[in-house]
Amino acid sequence: MVNESFLQIENVLFTVTMLLYFAAMIIYFVFVAAQKEKLARIAVILQGAGFVLHTIALITRGIGAGRLPLTNQYEFATSFAWGLCLVSLVFVLRYKFNVLGTFAAPVIFLIIGYAAMQSKDVHELMPALRSNWLGFHVSTAIIAYGGFGVSFVLGIIFLLREYMKDQSFLDRHVPSKEKLDLIGYRSVALGLLFLTFTILTGAIWAERAWGSYWSWDPKETWSLITWIIYSIYLHLRIRRGWSGKAAAIFAVAGFIAVLFTYIGVNTLLPGVHSYA
Amino acid sequence: MQFAIGLLLVLTAACTVGSVITQGQSYEAYAKLYGERWAGAIMALQLDDLFHSWWFILLSAFLCLNLLLCNLIRMPSIIRIMKREADPAASVGKTGNVSVAGIRDVDGFFKAMGFSKILSGDRKDLGGLNESREPDEAAGTSKDESLSGAAAETAGPDERKGSFRFSVRNTAGLWGAWVCHLGILLLILGFGLGQATKQEYTVYGLPGDSMPVGDTGCVLTIDSFEVGLREDDTVEQYTAGITVRRPSDGALESAEISVNNPASIFGMRYYQNSTGWAADIHITKNGEPLQDDVIYAGDYVRVADMPDLVIYLNAFYPDYVLGESGPMSISSSPNNPAYLYSVYYKNQMLGMNALLQSEELTIDDYTVTFGNPRNYTLIQVKRDRFTFLALIGGLVVMLGLILAFYLQEARMWAEQESDGTWTVHAISRKGGVLFGDRFRETAEKYL
Repeated sequence: MVNESFLQIENVLFTVTMLLYFAAMIIYFVFVAAQKEKLARIAVILQGAGFVLHTIALITRGIGAGRLPLTNQYEFATSFAWGLCLVSLVFVLRYKFNVLGTFAAPVIFLIIGYAAMQSKDVHELMPALRSNWLGFHVSTAIIAYGGFGVSFVLGIIFLLREYMKDQSFLDRHVPSKEKLDLIGYRSVALGLLFLTFTILTGAIWAERAWGSYWSWDPKETWSLITWIIYSIYLHLRIRRGWSGKAAAIFAVAGFIAVLFTYIGVNTLLPGVHSYA
Repeated sequence: MQFAIGLLLVLTAACTVGSVITQGQSYEAYAKLYGERWAGAIMALQLDDLFHSWWFILLSAFLCLNLLLCNLIRMPSIIRIMKREADPAASVGKTGNVSVAGIRDVDGFFKAMGFSKILSGDRKDLGGLNESREPDEAAGTSKDESLSGAAAETAGPDERKGSFRFSVRNTAGLWGAWVCHLGILLLILGFGLGQATKQEYTVYGLPGDSMPVGDTGCVLTIDSFEVGLREDDTVEQYTAGITVRRPSDGALESAEISVNNPASIFGMRYYQNSTGWAADIHITKNGEPLQDDVIYAGDYVRVADMPDLVIYLNAFYPDYVLGESGPMSISSSPNNPAYLYSVYYKNQMLGMNALLQSEELTIDDYTVTFGNPRNYTLIQVKRDRFTFLALIGGLVVMLGLILAFYLQEARMWAEQESDGTWTVHAISRKGGVLFGDRFRETAEKYL
C-alpha cells in the first residue's frame, strides 16, 4: 500500500540531498582551486550529511512504497548514487584522500541528477519482482557499481597525476602513483566481488522466477561482459607493465561497460530486465 | 596467460555481438533489419543463436581447458610457496620489503599488525637453510626503504645468532585465484552439462485439464488457477494448483505453484510461467449444434466437418473498447469481452474482425459464437541435474575472490640486536605501499 505522505517527505529529503551533494561538489572544487585545506573537511562533512539524508530518503521511500526502493530507473539511479557516495566516503576516510572526493562528487551529482529526471511514481511490483532475492540482488549491484565508480574516478586521477607538478598543492594531496594504483585495484576488487554476488543472486532468483538461472538476457550478458572486462584488468595487472597507467585506462573504460549495463541495456536492448 | 586474456577478449566481443543482435530471429527478420547481405552473414556465422553456436561452445571449451591447465600448473608452485613462506628459515636473516630497527615491544608490534601466531626461537636453531635460500619472490611488491634509514643487510652465516620472531598470515589467500578458477570451471561445466542434458517441457491448460508432461510418463492435472488482482487492476500473483500422477507406481503429488515459488515433484521442477486467455467456441451448422471446443488466444480451431475451414483467435480483449489506435482493453476484467478472430479457408484468409460476446459470426451454413472467457495457465516443467554444480561453482568463485582480495598473504619477522631491540622486516604480496605505510605508522608506537 502506497503511503503518499512518506513519499512527499522522501521528495523533500531527496531535494535536500541533491543540494548537499552539489554544495559538497562546489566546496571540493574550491578546496583544490583555492588550495585551502580546511575546505576539504567541510566538503567531506557536507557529503557525509548528504549521505545520511540520502539514506533516510531511501528508507522513507521504502516505507512509502511498502517495499524495497530498488525496482525502477529512479530508485536504482538514486541508490546507485548512494552506493557511489558510500564507497567514495569510505575510501576518502580510509586513505585520507580528500581529492578523491573532488573527483567523485561530480559523478555522484550526475547520477543523482539522472535520478531526478526519472519518474518518481510508485508502481506495484509485478509478480516476478515479488521476491526476497530482490534486496540481495540489487543492493549488491549498488555496492558493485559504487566500487567500479570509485575505480573510474581513481583511474582519472591517476592519469591526471602525470601532469601534476612536483610539490604542487595537488601533488601533496594526491597519493603516489603506486598508491593510487593499489587503491584503484582495491576498489575494483570490491566491485568485482559484489558484482559476482549480484550475478549469483540474480541467477538463483531467475531460476525461481523464470525457470532458468541463465538465459543470455541482455542485462545478464552485459553483467558478464563487465565481469570479464574487470577480470581482464586483474589479469593484466599481474603481467609486468600493465599496472599503473594501462590499468588506470582499463578502469576508466571498464566503467563505461558498467554504465552501459545499467543505462544502455535498459534503454537500448529490450529484455526481461527492461523494467529496471 | 596471454592466451587466457586473448580468449577473454574474444568472449567479450562475442557476448557484445550476441547482445546487440536480437537472437532467434529468422533470415527474413534480419534482412528487414540489417539488409540481405548482413542477414546472410548472421546466418552463416550462427550469430542468430550465437550462445549456442559451435564456435562459442568451442571458445568456452578452450576457456575451460585453459583454466584447468592453469590450475594444474600452478598448484605445485602454490604449495611450494606456502611451505616456504611458513618456514621461518626462509625469511629470518633476509631483508623484507619494509624494515624497521629499534623496536622494543616486538610482540606488541606483531599483534598490532595482525600477526597473532608468533613463532619465537633462536636463530642458530634455524640451521644452514639461510645459505641455500632462493631470492624472495614477493610478487607485486616493491623494495621499500627502512624506517630508520639503517637498512638491514642479509645476515651472513656468522651473524646467525640471537633470538628471532616470525609470523605468517593469510597464506590461504595464495589459493584465491586458484579457487576462483576452479569455481569458474565448475560453473561452466555445470551450465554446459545442464544445457546438454536438461529436460524441458511447456504445458498449458484450464482448471480440470489433464495432460502428459512430455515424455516423462507423468500426467499433470491443473486443479485450479487464479490471477490475483490488486485494487488498481495490476496483477499481484498467478497461482496454480497442480497434481502430478506418476503412472509407473500410481503415485500422486499435489502442489501450489506461483511466480517465484516453483515446486519439485518427482524430480521435475514446475514453474508458473505465464498466462493467457481462453474461451469456449460453439459452432452450429444450419442451426444444429456441430462442435464445442476450447480456443486459446493465439491458437485456432478447425471446423469439425470441414477441416479446411479454420477459426483463428488472434487476440482477446476482456474489457473491449475501440480506441484511436484500434481495439484495446481498458481493464483485465471480462466486463465487455471481445474476440479478434480471423477465418481461413484453404490457408486463404476470408476475413478478420472483432466479435462481441453476444454477437455471432456466420460463414455460409456455419454460425460461430464465443463465450465463457477465462485465464489459462502456462506451466514450465524442467529438470536440470547440474544446477547444483553451477551453484557450487558460483559459490566457489565467491570464495576464491574473497581469498584473493581480502586474505592478503604477509610475513613478518624480527631479529634481536645486541642492544636488546629488534629489527623487524615484513613482506606483503599484495599490500604494497599501503602495507608499508601501515607498517611504518604502527612501528612508530613500538620504537
